Amino acid sequence: MIRVENLIKQANGTRILRGVSFAVAPQTVLGVIGASGSGKTTLLRCLNGLERINGGAIEFGEIRLDANLSAHEYSRRVKQLRRKVGTVFQHLYLFPHLTVLGNIIEAPVHVLHVPRRKAEGEALELLESVGLKDKARRYPESLSGGEQQRVAIARALAMHPALLMFDEPTSALDPRRSAGLRSLLRGFVERGHTMVVVSHSIGFLEGLADNLLYMEGGEVVEYGETEKILNSPGDPRTKDFVQQAQ
Amino acid sequence: MTGFLCLTTGHAQQPLRWGADPSGGAPYVYNDPNHPDQYIGYEKEMADALAAAMGRRPEFVPSDWETLVSALQRGSFDIIINGLEPTADRLKQIQFSKPYYIFQLALTVRNSEQQIHSLADCRNRTVGTLGNTAASRLLEKEGVPFKGYADPVAAYRDLELKRIDAVLMDVPAEVFYVGKSKTLKRAGEPFFRGTYNIGLRKGDDALKAEVDAGIDKIIRDGTLEQILRKWSLWNDAQTELQTQMRSGQTVNPTNELTSSSFNWRGALWRLARAAVVTVLVAFGSMIIAVILGMPLAMGQSKGPRWLQWLCTIYIEFFRGTPVLVQLLFLYFGLPTIGLAMPGWLTALVGLGLNYAAYESQVYRAALEAIPRGQWEASYLLGMNPLLAFRRIILPQAFRIALPPMTNDFVSLFKDTSVAYAISVWELATAYRELANASGQFLLLGVAVSVFYLAMSLPMAHLARRLERRLQRREAIEAVEAEIV
Repeated sequence: MIRVENLIKQANGTRILRGVSFAVAPQTVLGVIGASGSGKTTLLRCLNGLERINGGAIEFGEIRLDANLSAHEYSRRVKQLRRKVGTVFQHLYLFPHLTVLGNIIEAPVHVLHVPRRKAEGEALELLESVGLKDKARRYPESLSGGEQQRVAIARALAMHPALLMFDEPTSALDPRRSAGLRSLLRGFVERGHTMVVVSHSIGFLEGLADNLLYMEGGEVVEYGETEKILNSPGDPRTKDFVQQAQ
Repeated sequence: MTGFLCLTTGHAQQPLRWGADPSGGAPYVYNDPNHPDQYIGYEKEMADALAAAMGRRPEFVPSDWETLVSALQRGSFDIIINGLEPTADRLKQIQFSKPYYIFQLALTVRNSEQQIHSLADCRNRTVGTLGNTAASRLLEKEGVPFKGYADPVAAYRDLELKRIDAVLMDVPAEVFYVGKSKTLKRAGEPFFRGTYNIGLRKGDDALKAEVDAGIDKIIRDGTLEQILRKWSLWNDAQTELQTQMRSGQTVNPTNELTSSSFNWRGALWRLARAAVVTVLVAFGSMIIAVILGMPLAMGQSKGPRWLQWLCTIYIEFFRGTPVLVQLLFLYFGLPTIGLAMPGWLTALVGLGLNYAAYESQVYRAALEAIPRGQWEASYLLGMNPLLAFRRIILPQAFRIALPPMTNDFVSLFKDTSVAYAISVWELATAYRELANASGQFLLLGVAVSVFYLAMSLPMAHLARRLERRLQRREAIEAVEAEIV
């Protein structure tokens, strides 16, 4: 579904990503792990077009981003890409002036021009699937952190993305809620979704991610099946990280 | 003989302090264009002659036309010599000497004017004149729309700029300004008669007797005639006046109009009209400020470098210079490049441009307070920048900007008072003119304050309610959701 080749990103003269390559197959979950500053979040921001890449390529179906494109062409392709990729930020960025329902139907109604009625019906179904149907008329401010996160997930899903990306989804959750989120996401995968989940928590990704990508200093240290990486890491740096996490 | 001489010398030490408004005061008393530190004018020469006749040393105290009477009462000077007419309302506050000049009124129009030949042709036109004069009262009585000016220069300039259709002015000023003008002409013959007298404090009877004797003296020995001839002000009316006075007759002005008294009902009506103008100017300029502030804010924070510079220059210029100066520039400066707006429009545009600079800063602060993530979240949902701005950023910024915008609007409301500088009939101008005409500074002051408060308080209240509603909406809906 998505293929990344030798991705390079630099800012202010320093390389943040130094040739990252991987691929995500449909209906699988890729977990990206690594310490803070390893480049995980920047990788995500390149995948959804918030950052322009300086080298290598991103391929998503027929859409291909590479560093040689003109600024105009690059942003045209990024727009196409964003129709297929949904992102849930670490800080969520819900729209505080809109209700839960308003947050979810905003883009379908104003970007896809879905009739309001229809969009609301779909939004309520989505809210039901994340267990928040009774909170549709509330404002985000009055919800708990976990509830807000599920609103953000529903908001992303309302655009029917082919790929769903998460940045540190567990940073504001206690262990019990983390487990709840994991089973929610697993449910989505079973229904056909594809995901990239950036997290520093191996515990959360274990049992969710099919593959793991371990990053350090903007480089891929190890990339492979989750089980293999957790049980028999090939690189000593991965081994250290896994041991410390456990 | 020696004793008499001593007495006169002793007297000469005592000054005769006379007050008048020299700004735009030609040909009465004004700054000599060739020696700006000196005053000239026919009344200046008359005052000097009068002081000499009284055996005193003349001392001129420059003052302001509108507040001459109150300044006299406060004791800033002892007499007023400024083409002052003995009206009934002034007679309530001060007393007058014998007349020294009979004035008439002259109507002035542009050279190209074909339709106006007398005041009767001005019913649907606007006529400029000085505030609180016989001319302004005549226009008021005749029901001719008029505009009061603080000095004749401004009135004649506005006539040239077609902001008004005619000017009605006392003959001395008309002779001075229109006599040498190439663009203006007299319409019809001078009409109406009134007298100029010297104003004195009530109770200063000894001084009044002295002044009256002085006037008699400069009429009898021909000094006054000489002065008036020199200034081209000698005419049949003066011959009549002086003949009567030489023969000891008392002179009453033939027209009773100058003794129109102050009318409270009319005053309140004029205040109400002024309030409407104030509201129109305030709302009009706020609309300009609110709309223009947005591109300024965007240009300054997000535009290309040259645009950022331009917006910054605009903002710093309008915030860094007094709004009064800006209005005067727009009103008197722009016509020189062919852009002449009426006073109210100038005030509306000027205040609008000024407050746009302030609003832009309110917007900028509000926009910067919105996290970048709100923009990014909008983009990732497929919105273009315009849609994101309109649907996501603006509503949030509006809430942040509302309290400071309300404050600005209330102060803009009060700032409309600077429009008095360009003769717009708004509340402050109305207060100044009506209070000067009546001496009712206190009562009219209260009335004007009530007008201001009646408009600004509801506005502040409304804004506060809107603010509270925006803030509470979430809380209320949350509670409702709990109940359901």
